[in-house]
This record gives sequence, C-alpha cells and structure tokens, in this order.
Amino acid sequence: MPMYGDLGNKLALHAKRTQNLAHLPPYQAELVRAVTREVRDLDKEVTTLLEPFQGSFDPAADHATACTLLVNHLSMRRNKRCLLAYHRTRTDKLEEHVWNGVDVLDLVAQQQAGGGNGAAISGEGGASSSLSPQEEDYVRQYGDLLAAYKGQWTDIDLTGSLEPPRDLFIDVRVLKDAGEIQTEYGYVAAVHGSSRICCAGH
Amino acid sequence: MDIDDILREVDPTFHSIPKEKQDLQELTRAWIAERSAPELLPWPPNGLFERINDNIKSQIEKVEEMTGDMDPRTNFALIVIQTELERYKYLVRSYLRARIAKIDKHTLHYLSTDNLRSRLSEMELAYATRHQALLHNHYLSSFLSSFPPQLQNLNDAAGINMVETPDLDAAVFIRLLKDVFVEGRGVDSDVTMDGRESDIVILRWSDAKPLVEAGQAELV
Repeated sequence: MPMYGDLGNKLALHAKRTQNLAHLPPYQAELVRAVTREVRDLDKEVTTLLEPFQGSFDPAADHATACTLLVNHLSMRRNKRCLLAYHRTRTDKLEEHVWNGVDVLDLVAQQQAGGGNGAAISGEGGASSSLSPQEEDYVRQYGDLLAAYKGQWTDIDLTGSLEPPRDLFIDVRVLKDAGEIQTEYGYVAAVHGSSRICCAGH
Repeated sequence: MDIDDILREVDPTFHSIPKEKQDLQELTRAWIAERSAPELLPWPPNGLFERINDNIKSQIEKVEEMTGDMDPRTNFALIVIQTELERYKYLVRSYLRARIAKIDKHTLHYLSTDNLRSRLSEMELAYATRHQALLHNHYLSSFLSSFPPQLQNLNDAAGINMVETPDLDAAVFIRLLKDVFVEGRGVDSDVTMDGRESDIVILRWSDAKPLVEAGQAELV
C-alpha cells in the first residue's frame, strides 16, 4: 500500500533530475493531480476526525487521534513543499531559457513536429507538449516582464554575454567570396579561404 | 563658499580624479562587492547609475559621430573608445545580472520588510513584485487553487519558515582599508586579531558586514 508522501517524493525526485538536464522533461500532470488529491483527502479526513469534538479537542485526552492529526497535518505540508519545489525547479529552467533568448514555445512546437518517431517508439502521447498550459502562460508572461525590465537598460544589452570582453575583434574565416566588405574602419576584401579580423558586432 | 568648499579645494584627492573616473571606480567596487556578498547589497545612492547611463549614451554618440569620419587617425581612437565602452557595458550588465540573480532566488525575503525593500532600485522592486506575482499565479493555477484554503499561502509559518533567506554566514574575502580589530566566529572557537591595512582576511559575511559598512574593509 502506498504511503503518505510517496507521490510527493516522486515529484521531488523528478525535480532533482530536471536540474541536471539540458531540456525540460514532460510535465508530470498526472502526478501533480494525484498529490493534490492526496492533500485534499487528508484535509477531509482531518475535518471528519475533528467533527465529533465540536472544536473542543484535547490532544492529551486522545493520543491516537492527536497522532493521526499530526501525521496528516505534516503530510499535507510536505506534499505542498514537494509541489512547490517541483514547479519552482521547472520555472527556474524556463526562466533560464528566456534569459538565453531561447524561444521556449517555439522549441516546444518543433519537438511536437519532430517528435513523431520518438512517440511511436515509446508508445506514449508524444504529441503532447512537455510544458503544462500554465507553464506556457508563465513563459509568455515572464518574457514580457523581462523585456520590460531590459527595455530600461537598452544601452547595456542586459541579456548579452557575461564573459568579460577581451577584444573588440574576432577572427572570421571567409567561407564564401563576399567581395569587399565595408566596416567602420574602411574596406576589407573577403576572399575565400582567408582569415580576417572583424568587429565583434558584424 | 563655506569651510567645506575650502577644504575640498585643498584636498588633493578631490581634484585629481575626474568625476567620470570616480563613477567608474564606484561601479567597479559595487560590482566586485555584489558578486562576492551572499546577500543583496543596497542599490548605490546619489544617482550613480543615472550618471553612468548618461556617460554610456554620450560615448555611443561619440562612436557614431566618429564612425562617419573616415580619417585613419581617428580610427585608432575609435577602437580605444569602443573597447572601453564594451568593458563599461560589461561591468554594468554583470552587476545588474548579479543582483537580479539574488533577487530571483530570495524574492519573498527581499520583499518582506521595508528595510530589505529599500535595497532594491525602483526598477528592481517593480520587477521583483511582478515576478513574485507571476510565480504565485502559476502555482495557484497549477495546483494551489485546488488546495484547502488554509494551505494556499506561500509562507506557512507553522514549523519551519517557508521563506528561504540568503546564507549570511557564507565566507567572504575582505581587504582591510584601515588598521582594525577583526572578530570572526569559527566552527570550534572564535578568533580575534589586530588587522593591518591591506591585510586580506577570510571570514563569515555576518562578521565582515559591519566592517564593510563602516568603510573599514572592502570585499575582494
């Protein structure tokens, strides 16, 4: 028989695993629902247990009931923490993507389109998004928020590289004859096979 | 003209450093300190960032002006200015990102008291408030709304406090700017020492904080 908190523990494990993954694994909608249901059931049990006492429950007089209440109380809170941790881990990942300029929603759409093979092998509903609808909303809203904050620092390019700039120029290998290229410092001829230094912005 | 102005005129440190350079030094210090300190430090006062923004803007304009000029002699100056500009921008960017990372990590903590809120700039405060609202909303729509009403809060005080706080006992390196008496709490025993100027000491942030705030030490 499954014990209280087993499901919550599973969620916590999922969260832990997610931390080390580059991509976001599918949202555990079923598990989240089950844990939430467990919390509701526990709460119902607490209400039923306390009903006959009419608000005058004395823990010292009835140790057995007091113990049940305590366990239920703690399990509910533990489940809640597991749920919070699971969702926070995922939103952290999503925020990271937003900062890196990855279009998460676009990525999801691609996975859905390209995931046909994987779905056939695993036999699961591979067509469903790895994000919950709520998460998709969240990504959109967070993107807006970040854009608003960034907009106040337009000159800085807040999401730019966090590597300290060493050099204004980067090496560029010319892959295709591009003729003369106009730079801020004059013209350079871009001939196939040659290496050029170029302004990092170009 | 009062006595302060006269004193300032004879103060060698006042005139020798131009304002722009002072700002850059201040920014660099704030950046180093923010990256080393385990908790969010107060947003720099006296409009430092307004001035920095103005400086960056004027340099960008200068670059644009010089770009139009094809004189090879200005090209070298242009490269120097652009490199400096990139570095300046990097400092600001890295500084802001370090702050945002801390704010994101302990949003509820920094929003909890007025004292803590005052450390954030107006923009950061708006960002943090909105971000927290988004998160709470997300939790609510994902699962919290089907919870019993008394469990829908994000800061159940029963038992362990749910709001995480930064670890103020994390270790930091500080450089002493004056000869000062240093007290540090250790795991087994506490240590006290007579610190000399420019000594570098490692100790808990909670012990280092008073020294840093009094200007007797700086984070490195």
